Amino acid sequence: MTNPAAIAIPSLKPATADVDIMPTWLGVVLAVALLAAPVLLDSYYLHALITSMIFLLPAHGLNLIVGYTGMMSLAQGAFFGIGSYVSALLAMHLGTPFWVNFLAAGVVTGLIALPLGVPALRLRTYSFVMCTLGLVVIGETVAKNWISVTRGDMGLSGIPRPHLGFGVEVTTITGYYYLFLFLAVVMTALFWALVSSPAGRAMIAIRDNETQAEALGIPTWSYKLIVFALSAAFAGFGGSMFAHYLTTISPLTFQMYYSTTILIIVLGGGAGTIRGVVVGSLTFVAVSEALRIAPELRMIIYGFVLLLLVFWLPKGITPLVDKVFALARGRST
Amino acid sequence: MARRVPMLVVVDRGRKAELPPECPLTSMADVVDPEERLMIRYAMTRRLALVAASAFAIIAQAEATAAQDVVKIGVISPNTGAAARYGAFAWRGAQLARDEINAAGGVNGKKIELFQGDSQCNPTEGVSALQRMLSQDKVSYVLGDVCSSVTLALQPMVENANVLLVNPASSNPQITYKAGVGGFKWSYRNYPTDEVRAGVVLKYAAQEKKIKKMAVLSVDSDYGRGAIVLTKKYLAENGVELTSEDYYKDKEADFRPILANIRRSGAGAIIMYGLADTTPIIARQMVEAGLAGKVVLIGSAEFNNPQAIAAAPSALEGAVEAAAWVPEHDTPRNKAFIAAYKAKYAGEEPNIHAYFFWETLRLVGVAAKQAKSEKQDDVRKALATITYDSIMGNVNFDDHNQANLPMILFELVNGKPAIKGTFSTKIIYPK
Amino acid sequence: MGELILEQIINGIIAGSVYALVAAGMTMIFGVLRAINFAHGEYYMLGTFSAWYVISKLGVSYPVSIILGIVMTMAIAAVVGRLVMQHLVTAPFQSGVLATLGLSLILQNAIVLGFGGTYKMFPGGWLSPVFIGDISIAWQRIIILIVTIAMFVALELMVARTRMGRSIRAVSQNIECCAVNGIDVERVVLATFVLGTGLAAMSGVLTGPVNVTIYGGMGEAVTMKTFAVIVMGGMGNVRGTLLAGWILGIAESFVAGFIGLQYRDAVGFVILIAMLMFRPTGLFSLQSRF
Repeated sequence: MTNPAAIAIPSLKPATADVDIMPTWLGVVLAVALLAAPVLLDSYYLHALITSMIFLLPAHGLNLIVGYTGMMSLAQGAFFGIGSYVSALLAMHLGTPFWVNFLAAGVVTGLIALPLGVPALRLRTYSFVMCTLGLVVIGETVAKNWISVTRGDMGLSGIPRPHLGFGVEVTTITGYYYLFLFLAVVMTALFWALVSSPAGRAMIAIRDNETQAEALGIPTWSYKLIVFALSAAFAGFGGSMFAHYLTTISPLTFQMYYSTTILIIVLGGGAGTIRGVVVGSLTFVAVSEALRIAPELRMIIYGFVLLLLVFWLPKGITPLVDKVFALARGRST
Repeated sequence: MARRVPMLVVVDRGRKAELPPECPLTSMADVVDPEERLMIRYAMTRRLALVAASAFAIIAQAEATAAQDVVKIGVISPNTGAAARYGAFAWRGAQLARDEINAAGGVNGKKIELFQGDSQCNPTEGVSALQRMLSQDKVSYVLGDVCSSVTLALQPMVENANVLLVNPASSNPQITYKAGVGGFKWSYRNYPTDEVRAGVVLKYAAQEKKIKKMAVLSVDSDYGRGAIVLTKKYLAENGVELTSEDYYKDKEADFRPILANIRRSGAGAIIMYGLADTTPIIARQMVEAGLAGKVVLIGSAEFNNPQAIAAAPSALEGAVEAAAWVPEHDTPRNKAFIAAYKAKYAGEEPNIHAYFFWETLRLVGVAAKQAKSEKQDDVRKALATITYDSIMGNVNFDDHNQANLPMILFELVNGKPAIKGTFSTKIIYPK
Repeated sequence: MGELILEQIINGIIAGSVYALVAAGMTMIFGVLRAINFAHGEYYMLGTFSAWYVISKLGVSYPVSIILGIVMTMAIAAVVGRLVMQHLVTAPFQSGVLATLGLSLILQNAIVLGFGGTYKMFPGGWLSPVFIGDISIAWQRIIILIVTIAMFVALELMVARTRMGRSIRAVSQNIECCAVNGIDVERVVLATFVLGTGLAAMSGVLTGPVNVTIYGGMGEAVTMKTFAVIVMGGMGNVRGTLLAGWILGIAESFVAGFIGLQYRDAVGFVILIAMLMFRPTGLFSLQSRF
């Protein structure tokens, strides 16, 4: 029935190619630059990097759906919101350390996504997109009206700063930066391990030809359901980081803004590749921030950037990144 | 459905491209015209480089000409997206105040320089705008935001930076529950939250207009819902019964299903806490549903807005509102403010956000004058003890950094607001 | 009680007609382009704004503004169609998403920039009420209902009888075969796009007098509703769209009237998801388009 192939995925290279392409010296330079960033940059740039790392995890999640199973979802905004509420409520009521809140946000969001995926995944590609959009609206309504838990529109404010245990509490922007950098690196590594495992290859098979995958004995339905839950879990992780960084959330956390921003990162970055999504999350936050020099024209120019991207780099930023990597490689050897 | 097409040649305006047999419809772009795309790409690169170069030139110039002796103030409000209709007023009000203060010699002889930050009514964007102001523009003061969820996110950030945040537009009570003795030292609010207002409006409607059954139709936000929570405290003592309780999204345009219910419920008033642009929609649909003249609007949503009255005069007659500012407030200073605003913005009428951003920027200026210093720490201390002479009357701040504001209660009579009383806001803080 | 139910059904059918009229254009565009048009609500907004502009700045009467509003929007759509939408015919799925999200940002914020942030109220329209028993409805809403039904009849005739209609149907079934058979695919796409956005503009102009307030972001909410309607009706199915619009409208009216206005938007989507569980291809047909 379903024809996920209606979404054309640019790169059919296996995900494992990611590490080969980047020359080692560039990797080292990047790693040093990221570690030294708080020394080199002021708080505004650190904040922008933090924002892009908050968006990175939900983007990985969406990439799992779009890039590795060929469906497109707008539900990331809903799961981002759920994750932020789970994490905030735990921290405020039980005073649990950050690690617990972070993991719980992902796990609970994933578990909530599981039953939602059952009806949603029966839909064809386009119907699925719109159905997932509905989850954002439903999530917002629940957050607004389940007042005994969420405090409704008053929102949850005064969410504790991340407690890391052993009396360590993150309060400065540099602290947040290193904490989120650590999480981003660990989660990206986990994501990479997942998609380069046999399970990841099965997902790619489903994306490329679902009927054939089924014929080869891959339980496509279970895979899609698990992918949906995993992608939600990644969005939940992002929501947890968001809640602890801003220390306040409201039903407005369930917003199309987050769904579309994450979608732009994945599609604009290059679905189906990890490097594309990582570069995408950095690029789109950077573009959006750079345009603050013209506040009233900002969103208009941002719109034109998206159009340019479509016609100029129809496969997203990934090919450009690869070119840079190739260039760097050429010079390094 | 996978549509398998046999290998064929697609003729499309002279371009030829081979379509591989398994390729679905959507991937044809991949094989069309690589050369042409390359050409476009080079042209675009050149153009982009040019644009970037000129943009940098402008920035560099702006930085070079920036005077040293200025007071830098950031204004954060939604300037793009659906909430831009509220943010535009805020930014214009602040700009007018800046021009007036600078024309009068500035703050302690220093000119005010404003920086605009776009929040899109979204905490992530608002915090980004703030961070940029703090570390790039090095502002000492921030006014903002209109949306409470953004203001709540700004509070802890200014606390770390020792920059003074004066909020002129958010009504979530949490903002000042957590300020002053409640915790945040650097947050002040010069905007009413609805502790007293809700009671005053309800009492007037129940006792003067003898309405005992009311329906709730307020905006679905902390403002609309918060006002109703406070209204409910006063129901019993005024003998008022609520017949229904509905909250609308700020993009809502169809109120007929609710009005159909209200018509049958016997309610004599609709309690509405919302913003001015929904008032004419509800009013006009009340006329349509035959409610005009039978049910009055009470609460706060700029019922006195002339455009709203023009849209549905019969529905707004008798409306009761408690407001912190009304354009009809009959003093020379208010008239001068409105005239100056209209002169600057092509005849546009200011709204409550325009007024409060204008007044709050002046408040900061006056506090700096009293402190004889533009250092934010001195101004902060001055605000704590100030008695500011605003257009509407004296304003001072309580120990939670919340302004106690003069308020006006009016009823619309023959399409004009008739002042029925004045009172001052006061917050009862939860223990 | 019976009368209240009747009134809610009437309210729902009228609200649903507006959804259907916007959605019909979107579903046709989806048919030929296979792209979800995230900017579709913006053309509804442009229609209202153009009419508001010619009434309040040029002083034309409301009936004339209906024509001018639709024509101006279609002219803008023709430019957008020529520069952007035509190129999406052969583009991958994600191009359509990114391009229409970008267009939505551009159109919305260009209006914010161009007309500023004041409150704007739509003048004109036929607002005197008609009485059906105890229920009163503005003439404007009766007109919306009549125009919607007339437009759907016209669309049916067009796709069945005219050459352009048959081309649209053909393109939405198989682009390659059309190209081989000498149908100018790009022209059909452009025509469909302009026609579809014209329908959105029409419902924008017609609802202006009853929805009163206009602002740059007003299209967003419409786009969301439209998504639900076109899925329910079966993507690309014009006839199904009208029925789906009415069903959603009535369901929303009941939710708003009997449960609470705050649940309205969410319940629309809950109903959508529940219906899709039983009919994943939409309510009315398995495969048919148009």
